[in-house]
Amino acid sequence: VFAARKLTVMNHELSLSIVGAGGDGAVAAGDILSMACAREGLHVMKTEAYGPQIRGGESSCHVRVSAAPIHAQADALDALVVFSWADFARFRAEITLAENALVFHDEKDAPPEDLLGCRIRALPFAAQRSAKNIFALGLLSSAFGLPAEGMREAVRNRFRKKTPEVIEANMKAFDAGFAEGVTVDAKKLEYVKGAPKLLMAGNEASAVGAIEAGCSFFAGYPITPSSEILHFLGEWLPRIGGRFVQTEDELAAIGAVVGASFAGAKAMTATSGPGLSLMAELIGLSAMAEVPSVIVNVQRGGPSTGIPTKSEQSDLMHAVFASHGDTPRVVLACTGVEDSFHTTVDGFNIAEEFQIPVIVLSEQSIAQRRETIEASALTHEVVDRRIATDVEAYRRYRVTEDGVSPMTIPGIVGGEYQTNGLEHDEQGRPNSMYSMHATMNEKRYRKLDAIAQKYPLFERYGAADADVGILCWGSSLGVVREAVDRLDSPRGLRVAAFAPRILAPLPKRAIEEFVANARDLLIIELSYAQQFYKYLRTEIDLPREHTHVFARSGGKNLTVSEVIDQVQRMFVRDEVMA
Amino acid sequence: MNYTAAEYKSDLKPVWCPGCGDFAVLNSLYRTFAELKYETHETVVVSGIGCSSRLPGYVEAYGFNSLHGRALPIATGIKLANPKLNVVVVGGDGDGIAIGGNHFMHTARRNADLTYIMMDNEIYGLTKGQAAPTTPLGDKTKSTTYGNPEAGVDPCALAISFGATWVARAFSGDVVGTTKLMKQALEHRGFAFLNILSPCVTWRGEDQHKEIRAKIQRGEITIGVLHEVNTPTLLDEIEEVRAKAVASRPSATKSDMLRAFA
Repeated sequence: VFAARKLTVMNHELSLSIVGAGGDGAVAAGDILSMACAREGLHVMKTEAYGPQIRGGESSCHVRVSAAPIHAQADALDALVVFSWADFARFRAEITLAENALVFHDEKDAPPEDLLGCRIRALPFAAQRSAKNIFALGLLSSAFGLPAEGMREAVRNRFRKKTPEVIEANMKAFDAGFAEGVTVDAKKLEYVKGAPKLLMAGNEASAVGAIEAGCSFFAGYPITPSSEILHFLGEWLPRIGGRFVQTEDELAAIGAVVGASFAGAKAMTATSGPGLSLMAELIGLSAMAEVPSVIVNVQRGGPSTGIPTKSEQSDLMHAVFASHGDTPRVVLACTGVEDSFHTTVDGFNIAEEFQIPVIVLSEQSIAQRRETIEASALTHEVVDRRIATDVEAYRRYRVTEDGVSPMTIPGIVGGEYQTNGLEHDEQGRPNSMYSMHATMNEKRYRKLDAIAQKYPLFERYGAADADVGILCWGSSLGVVREAVDRLDSPRGLRVAAFAPRILAPLPKRAIEEFVANARDLLIIELSYAQQFYKYLRTEIDLPREHTHVFARSGGKNLTVSEVIDQVQRMFVRDEVMA
Repeated sequence: MNYTAAEYKSDLKPVWCPGCGDFAVLNSLYRTFAELKYETHETVVVSGIGCSSRLPGYVEAYGFNSLHGRALPIATGIKLANPKLNVVVVGGDGDGIAIGGNHFMHTARRNADLTYIMMDNEIYGLTKGQAAPTTPLGDKTKSTTYGNPEAGVDPCALAISFGATWVARAFSGDVVGTTKLMKQALEHRGFAFLNILSPCVTWRGEDQHKEIRAKIQRGEITIGVLHEVNTPTLLDEIEEVRAKAVASRPSATKSDMLRAFA
């Protein structure tokens, strides 16, 4: 019924990987190549993978370069550089080579025998010693038509603090590689040079988004894979008049955020699953005291310590339900690097306007991958907190129509109030009466109705009324989008994708409309326990017989071919049943 | 404002038991605020959970009765967000040493610009009488039927070892002496820790008050300032960092920031 459309634009894009031991400079070479392509106006996506060692050990980078916009990594590599087959073995299961892919390896290191269907070429990498990665860059640039001048400049820039001899040696290595590449028979990348783009990781985009939103306070505890947010804000907040503190644990981090926000600052913390678990009680305080807070949670493999360096979508239920009691909160989800910027600003806007905790879910696969972005795309409307100035008969927790009460901050004369994690009355005084508890629960939850009205955030892609509607979230959207583009049905079957960017409260009307218009549904997620599917079922009526679920463990990113395969299977199954 | 003690009193009636030492501590706090002429709108009293942590509600000022053990990080956030505020942290020994012990260590180590007043009754009062980290070895409580198998710890010794720059012990039975020490604590630049022995008549018995007084008289308990040094505070150090950060890149516009990615 469906077939994967043959990619006819192969010479408009290229996917390659460089694999080596620590010190081989595989990742550094990927950086240089990516930056040079970004400056040329090309679209780039770069991911890295490491062994568990702190230093040394195997490392690899995976770069996709394209003349057209891209939303995911390619499933198969067109080119592979292997400095050491022993290191390659560690990544073997995660690397797929395209038919006729070009593989370059060191001439003194024999390739494994099971490497079939590709063209293998031995080269003197080891002879280049520490410049082997630069040699590889020269090779790749002439073999595939990548921007050689840009790479030369990037190499020079990288070694600018070294002696002229070092720079000279590296330029020579580049030229030697370039000369080798000229003899390689490969399609050259075809593109029109465009305006330079920025090359940014998801964590960096989140941090830039925080600053855009007006964040003036950050407290955090280091945790993989979110620490780059802490690093970036630790460097930039002091420059722009903000304050930053690295706390003793995640409890203190969210505690300091709630305190700073109570005092009037736009405040944020960033963490990953184990940290979010520790923050659960204070998320409840933020909700109960109605003090805005923003928590970026970069998901990694779980449970417990799990897989700190790899991605998963298994913190969804925790984000949506964390903390005891009836705790209103907002959960947003980033779908890509650029979206991490926008979602973080949205997070602040919602938190500040509605005096509520907002959890921004990111994923390792977004947070630590680099993507090209247009600088002009990094703007977003900013909403500020409404500070009460009229303190005549001031009641901090006054019951209002939309649930949002007037809020003063310390320093405002006559605005003094005591806030509380205890249930309280309109003045903030502890109160354990049933009627007060019911009134206040209703007031706090009314904010979610207002948020659902104002922020029904989602992305929809593909045919208006689809035969197959794919529901996914977060990083899966980019992969699903590319799959939708590549699914080809001779019978004219149409596919569409939908991803909520706000998970709590869900954009129900939009999802229900999507569900109603699709003949069959496919839910896709990287959670073994089907958290997204189960959560959707608690909120939305899904037609049981027409809902298919593809949920698997994280640790390996979703691929376009997996999605295509799942769609194809749905129809095979249907035909068998018919 | 006329800066009288009465003006700092809220209209909320304390839930404490008659005879509780915390009444005297609260009175000392009203007097201290009056003596220091604190503006109610520029003062924040922060607490965790426990009998004594109800205190912010009884003070006419901004107040935050937060979570068990978490008063210090919340107060740190408040002070860093607005250094002009007078931020006073209050709470019990269980709140500060057991569940919040890690924050006690690190807030003291940072020399955060806060005053931390611990009302120490050697027991968990609100949960009705279980042993606390301060309960002496061998004492019988609701949770130590056969006597406490653990030795109690001295909060002041901890504070000094954590790096608190001002540490004192007071006794709630002496309102004048406590007020004097409280004033010094609030005037100290940096992290000041005031441990106030505040008897719990309900769970430690009617005699705890008399026993403390006798021990003070016999010289077994020292009242007064135990440790005082003047070192740069957390805010001082953060200002240093800011100066270095600004010097490293005098122009910090958005385009300067994005240049790192170009």
